[in-house]
Amino acid sequence: MKAPMKNLLSILAVGTALLATSCGRDSQSTGTEYAPQMYNAVGYEPFNQVTDTNSEFYNSNPYNLNESGSRAKATSNMRPPVAGTIARKMYAGTPRTELASQIYVYNIPADSLDLASRILKNPIPLTPAVLEEGKVLYGRYCTPCHGAEGKGNGKVAEQYKGVPAYNQGNYRNLTGGHIFHVITYGKGRMWPHGTQVNPDERWKIVHYVATLQKQS
Amino acid sequence: MKTIIKSTLRFTAYIFLLTFSLNLLAQDPAAPAAAPAAAAPAAAAGGADDALAKAGEAVFNANCKQCHGFNEVVVGPALKDAHTRWNNDAKLKFFIKYPQKSINTEPYAKALYEKYKPSIMPNHDGLPDGDIDAVIAYIKTGGPAPAVSKTDTPINPVEGGGADSATTTYLLGALLVVLLLIVGVLAMLISVLTRMVSTKTDVTEDEKEYLFGKLRWNVLFGSPIFRSVATLVLVVVVIKFGFDQVYAVGIQQGYAPKQPIPFSHKLHAGQYEIDCNYCHTGVNKGKSAVIPSVNICLNCHNAIKTQSPNMQKLYNAVETNEPIQWVRVHNLPDLAYFNHAQHVKVGGIECTKCHGNVAEMEVIEQHSTLTMGWCINCHRETVVKAEGNAYYDKLLAMHNQSSKDPMKVANIGGLECSKCHY
Repeated sequence: MKAPMKNLLSILAVGTALLATSCGRDSQSTGTEYAPQMYNAVGYEPFNQVTDTNSEFYNSNPYNLNESGSRAKATSNMRPPVAGTIARKMYAGTPRTELASQIYVYNIPADSLDLASRILKNPIPLTPAVLEEGKVLYGRYCTPCHGAEGKGNGKVAEQYKGVPAYNQGNYRNLTGGHIFHVITYGKGRMWPHGTQVNPDERWKIVHYVATLQKQS
Repeated sequence: MKTIIKSTLRFTAYIFLLTFSLNLLAQDPAAPAAAPAAAAPAAAAGGADDALAKAGEAVFNANCKQCHGFNEVVVGPALKDAHTRWNNDAKLKFFIKYPQKSINTEPYAKALYEKYKPSIMPNHDGLPDGDIDAVIAYIKTGGPAPAVSKTDTPINPVEGGGADSATTTYLLGALLVVLLLIVGVLAMLISVLTRMVSTKTDVTEDEKEYLFGKLRWNVLFGSPIFRSVATLVLVVVVIKFGFDQVYAVGIQQGYAPKQPIPFSHKLHAGQYEIDCNYCHTGVNKGKSAVIPSVNICLNCHNAIKTQSPNMQKLYNAVETNEPIQWVRVHNLPDLAYFNHAQHVKVGGIECTKCHGNVAEMEVIEQHSTLTMGWCINCHRETVVKAEGNAYYDKLLAMHNQSSKDPMKVANIGGLECSKCHY
């Protein structure tokens, strides 16, 4: 009578122990993978992260040098664009006369803000849809500092400091070209945002900022 | 027995002390509020300049506050007693209007430039003369008093709900006291009753068995009912455990790896309300939402928390031109294709739908299972955002011919194998 009871008890104990360990999942581990050959890309994916060079799935392109010019730590497949190349969009359907103004080349150097202020014209016609898009883009990329109404009172600005209000003093009269150039290259305390918003998006933001400048 | 009562009393006293001191703490922030009220009459004694200074305060808040405080250096110098440092209102006025010209003519302006460069004050020639006079009048008043205490308070990421948490603490404390009292009273009752019974002599054997006898465990364990129930429970538990383990294969839900820099989404996306797109710039444009490069971090961290050792990692990354090796959290298997732009831009799906409430996550973790069943379920339930998108016009017309239900993703091939597996 006693022996089976002991067995039962020990089985119960093991069972509860297993149950207890199965509840807490290790947040640092990716867990068991069933078919790693199907999980890991053969091609070079941008954010693949198999850093072990001996792994069967190590697939960082060995011909990619890291930015320092060595292959020692070339574990990332993400590459900066080749020097001199230009990001482009689909130009199909763009009228020939507008091609020049819509192309993504921006030749005005960073230190020529006055020139940009004078000569640049917004190539994107102002429509309610564009304005709405500009508002969305402004919300994503500008509100953290400039605030939803362009008063310079965004949540980040409270820490970052020195963010002006668009509708005060000289800021009321800044041209679209000025704003475009400042988004691209930054000015004063503001750092360049050209990598985050492409020229089309910048011009749409310019349209929306113009409405914020006009508010009293 | 006495020691139990004593310790209960002591513990109760602790609880009272604790709640009382919490009460004091909770009231503390209100205390400095009294200071400005006392300072206000002194400022009002200014007389005729008072109205001008009042106007100046409005101009200051709209145009100057972004870079200048009165008692602390913000971007530019603290403005308390700026008029005495210049000692010439006309020169100060010219400086405010044309700081960059002033650098060439005024030695003090040049000294300021040297001290605060590369920051340089922009021209304020757009402001009317009257406004600048008003600002100077406002500077002469010495500025607002509470600014001092405000800058002294460190940035506290956990704010709000203070009153709520205080009341919760009170309630819990009170409940604890009541519970402890009940336990104490019960313990006393038991001990008194046991003592009473033990002194009695006219107790039968049966009653003794009932009062002092031990529970016979072996009889309980030996009973067939108990054993069959225990076996059944065990089998169920083992089967459940087994299935859970098998179903967890390849599922990384809850994966929250330690990152090279302890970046807090709760702070950035939650407290500072920075849009996801600001850093994850690819989410509307391509397959990958993109892990931000260091230059995006530096857009703010060129000025914020620059002394933190974690920021040094950012600056080192810039100097050595090596990316920060963030640990990837969402490892969708290569056998399935997923495109962020298709879901976020075309489908209009919110980030939180799949990634959970990231704005509350101190450490980022995988919120969803990312299993095929999870994908398919959403494709069955989600209505295609077809309005304003010419691509769906004909599909929508065809769908509406044959069905009265809204067009779901599943209706236009969202369950086809080759949509995601190719």
